[in-house]
Amino acid sequence: MTASQQFVAQVKNLSVDYHGDRGWSRAVDGVSFEIANGEALGLAGESGSGKTTVAYSLMGERRGASSVGGGQVLFRGRDIFAMPERELTTIRGRSIGFVPQNPMASLTPSMKVGHQIGEMLTFHSVPVPQGTQARVAELLDSVGIPQPAKAARRYPHELSGGQQQRVAIAMALACRPDLVVLDEPTTGLDVTTQKRILQLLAELKRETGVSMLYVSHDLASLAQLCERVAVMQKGRLVEAADTASLFERPQHDYTRKLIAAIPRIDRPPAGHPGATPAGEDEAPNLLEIENLRVSYARRGLLGFGKLPAGADTVKGVSFSVQRGQTFALIGESGSGKSSIARAVAGLARPRLGTIRFAGTPLAALARQRPLHLRQKIQIIFQNPDSSLNPRKTVRSILSRPLGMFGRLDAAGREARVAELLQAVRLDPAYADRRPHQLSGGERQRVAIARALAADPELIICDEILSALDVSVQASILQLLETLQRERGLTYLFISHDLAVVRWFAQQIGVLSRGAFCEIGDTETTLSAPSSPYTMQLLDAVPRIGASPAAAASEPERRP
Amino acid sequence: MQQQDAGAPRASLRLARPGLSASGWVGAAIILVYVVVALTGAAWAPYGATAILTGSPFEGASLQHPFGTDNLGRDVFSRVVLGTRSVLTMTFAATLLAVAVGGLIGIVFGYLRNWVDEIGMRIIDILISIPTLVLALLIISAVGNSLWLVVLTVAFLFAPRVARVARAATLTVVTNDYVAAALARGESTLSICLREILPNITGVMLVEFAIRCAFAIIFIGSLGFLGFGAPPPTPEWGLMINEARANATNSLWPVLAPATAMAVLVIGINLFADGLSRLIDRPGQRSAEAK
Repeated sequence: MTASQQFVAQVKNLSVDYHGDRGWSRAVDGVSFEIANGEALGLAGESGSGKTTVAYSLMGERRGASSVGGGQVLFRGRDIFAMPERELTTIRGRSIGFVPQNPMASLTPSMKVGHQIGEMLTFHSVPVPQGTQARVAELLDSVGIPQPAKAARRYPHELSGGQQQRVAIAMALACRPDLVVLDEPTTGLDVTTQKRILQLLAELKRETGVSMLYVSHDLASLAQLCERVAVMQKGRLVEAADTASLFERPQHDYTRKLIAAIPRIDRPPAGHPGATPAGEDEAPNLLEIENLRVSYARRGLLGFGKLPAGADTVKGVSFSVQRGQTFALIGESGSGKSSIARAVAGLARPRLGTIRFAGTPLAALARQRPLHLRQKIQIIFQNPDSSLNPRKTVRSILSRPLGMFGRLDAAGREARVAELLQAVRLDPAYADRRPHQLSGGERQRVAIARALAADPELIICDEILSALDVSVQASILQLLETLQRERGLTYLFISHDLAVVRWFAQQIGVLSRGAFCEIGDTETTLSAPSSPYTMQLLDAVPRIGASPAAAASEPERRP
Repeated sequence: MQQQDAGAPRASLRLARPGLSASGWVGAAIILVYVVVALTGAAWAPYGATAILTGSPFEGASLQHPFGTDNLGRDVFSRVVLGTRSVLTMTFAATLLAVAVGGLIGIVFGYLRNWVDEIGMRIIDILISIPTLVLALLIISAVGNSLWLVVLTVAFLFAPRVARVARAATLTVVTNDYVAAALARGESTLSICLREILPNITGVMLVEFAIRCAFAIIFIGSLGFLGFGAPPPTPEWGLMINEARANATNSLWPVLAPATAMAVLVIGINLFADGLSRLIDRPGQRSAEAK
């Protein structure tokens, strides 16, 4: 039983099956690993690799329509699947804490957060000599929430996304568990918030000595927190090693591929065609934006009242994009970058300002713009789940812009659909599929094909990578670059990820609270940033190679 | 992912079974029987709907008269069978009209979300707040009494209620980016409503249609019972119940038979609607193919 002393949890040859449309399929196949006391283990892999299923099985949870095909999960040496339900209930929350991906969905919206954390303590009858309220405030303070006593009286929706995730972490730690399972806890957050949460977790780990299983598709963020990283592919554990040696000497091909796919700010991605140099020949401006102001504030009194001062989401932004080049808009969520994209696409009516396309001023809303201008400007959205109509086939999705902007007959359209699918590196046979039959990356490719169908000159890419896995992101970026070279496309590329943009865009504009704090060509801007905000953003980009010890020993900056 | 043959028994599984639930199938079967009866009844009903003295009045159930006879000696079984067609046609027509008109209004309002929606929805609130039966009786007594007027009245009463449901369903759909994509393409409002939104709320509308059908049967029956439906010799279930009510002490058959026919049909439709809504609410259309 020495093993159980040393390890918090051991997974031995675990297999889990799911029942789907085509019978049983194996989602987790013979996975073994262990988590030592006080260790943080990272579990990496693409979506569908079975990593979340493994994380849930550590808590003895079998997700719907699944069954354990074999193997054991030992927690402190005891088989968790053999435990009676009652004992499991006491272990969950008390000995194993859980932090889910989306705190908005996991916190009860109708309960004050302090109450929700307190419930953990009372449910597991944890002795709190200082009183529940004081303990809750202490917990909130330990996860870096300012004015904890006040925050405890708030409802989840009154907190920001980062703060909600902090509350979820406080809840997981409330009963001083031995192990915390974190399921993609930073995926929905922007980079700077993500960095702060990772710092917080590293600090909590050092202070409390809790073990962690950190599930993420983002190798770079795993590298910052975990001593060891296990990589999963298609239900199998392909590699497990110390973080440093995994990044320096990856053994498995898949791990190498994953590491290569991580956008690096310090060196260009493999196979990068040495980007079209910026401003070499002065190409004419395709898109010019002058003093753009967008506001979502409502005028009081039936629309005749005055707008509240400073209510603009975008506060007078001017920039221009040269033909055939890429302009990147960078900023945190809420910085107004998507509002600019929507204004250019004609989806939001700017309060003030002009948008000129190839010299012609554009009408505010898409419907008022002439057909040929609507055709020349296309937009691709962040989430292909939402931007493709789930009830339509790929063919019908692509045919609509063809029918609207082109003059092809039915046979011509059919040929063009096949051509477009090939252009985005998809099998033409996909034309008969519906979006839910495609993977996330394939869906985004269809969305790109839909934009191409109009034969545009400018494509607005609104955070089009953030809903995708890292390796898929790399291939989509490559596709965009190829298309740009082949068709001379101009991109207005909106992103929160500096590392992605670094090698892709010639020009960059850093937005903060609706105004540019820095604008210029990417190379100079990023090598010598002049604004503190840009420096902060650059600083937040996860760097591979930084050891977890180094990350943990950094001076803590509480918000 | 490799395929597994399910050899060992797997305990405590929560499988998302595809297809209609068992009770849903029962409902569908009941509806099917009624539809078949409505279509073919005229060919095999033993007596005509208005044939009097097919036996002596108030006979009990027998082989000649499975549901007995009424005060005029008419065969209750034949009258119930022959009444099916008018009940189904009227219900179907009224509900279809209500769902088409109300659905379109709801989708357009939900999509626009501007002052048109604001004013329109308040008018709909007013219409909904008037008691249905009172309003129906008012309309029918003012305009006249015909089967088509009953259909139009029922459609008029149900349309605002359908519009509300359609608007609510639309609100969850319009936030999707495919609507924004259509807008950026410059599609017209009607085109966005019909091409982008409608296909995504058909499930909700189908369930609404089924539920409204059940309401419509009862409502049309009530109108018939109050004498605001078809004129007397017509074999209309509500009317039949009303006619036989006075003689219920002599024989219960003429009251019970049409009432039961109506009740079973409504139960059948409700079972089907329930099964349908569960089928549509099945969480996540994502399948293993998506990987």
